[in-house]
Amino acid sequence: MVEDRVNRTGRSMLAGAKDVSPIILGIIPFGLVAGAAVIEAGLGLPEAIGMSLFVNAGASQIAATALFAEGAPLWVAIGTALVINARMLIYSASLAPILAPKATRRGKILLGHPLVDQAYAATMTQGRFRDDIDVVPYYVGSWAILASVWQIANIVGALAGSFVPPAWSLDFTVPLVFLAMLVPALKTHTDVEVALITAFAAALLVPVLPMQTGLLVAIVAGMAWGAMRHHDTELAQEGEAG
Amino acid sequence: MSETARFWIIIVVLTVGTFLLRSLPIWLYGRTPMPTWVERLLRYVPAAALTALVVPGSLYIKDAGIYELAPARIVAALAALVVAVRTKNVIATMISGMVVLWVGQALLG
Repeated sequence: MVEDRVNRTGRSMLAGAKDVSPIILGIIPFGLVAGAAVIEAGLGLPEAIGMSLFVNAGASQIAATALFAEGAPLWVAIGTALVINARMLIYSASLAPILAPKATRRGKILLGHPLVDQAYAATMTQGRFRDDIDVVPYYVGSWAILASVWQIANIVGALAGSFVPPAWSLDFTVPLVFLAMLVPALKTHTDVEVALITAFAAALLVPVLPMQTGLLVAIVAGMAWGAMRHHDTELAQEGEAG
Repeated sequence: MSETARFWIIIVVLTVGTFLLRSLPIWLYGRTPMPTWVERLLRYVPAAALTALVVPGSLYIKDAGIYELAPARIVAALAALVVAVRTKNVIATMISGMVVLWVGQALLG
């Protein structure tokens, strides 16, 4: 068996990759949309690759690209994307006690980069409970397969996107892909309230606020509503925060 | 500055910023716990951010800086919402939304 020959680290990485493989199909359309959005914004393949390779965070990539395409100032595109990625602070804080004690001082410097939604979910709900593998390579392995597929999907999206005629309204795939992600993210009553408040704020504010700041304001309003209405009892009903 | 250069500024700043957001709690582990109110606020980023990314593009088309209600998009987004709730499937959601949009655009203009 292959399993006998590879060392424990390799086996742990494979276990991580295997646990995220059912969700890989789900990130392909998302990556295609992200890659195509960069082309639609008037940029090229290097920008599509740079964005997905370095930023490595889908929703924020698409949001920043769309805001850029609409002529938003750079600080608005960057600020909105960073607010979207602020959820990583929570992921990182909840993974820290699991990963940090097991990493070397130097390894810890890079340990944050593989933190993507699906790697977080797999490590929190599966990897950390297994004693036949090491959790750090498990986490890195789950990210490695996700990031590879993500990168390829972005490139294919960028290449294919340039051939799609505007009449197909390909830009509509952006709200659709987020809609598909939103529905499973609504786990509690408060989540639904947050979505409704944000939807109302976005519908009202995005067309009127200057410099495309409507999106940012709507997100912050929704978050504030959630924090205000948060019931600690809901924590019990939650699975992972992804 | 060229559009390409401006976009690379976004890539670089977003890369550094996102790397810090992912890394700081791991680096600071054991030193400073995150304040509860920050945790509460961040808990609702996914619901708020994803909604904000759905709504304007489902309601409006932007023509020369003006937002106009787009009936075909509204109908298509509602259809996709129903499919998303029923199936929780990304591909089914996207296909149904796009097909309804194309039919809607053909009928409603």
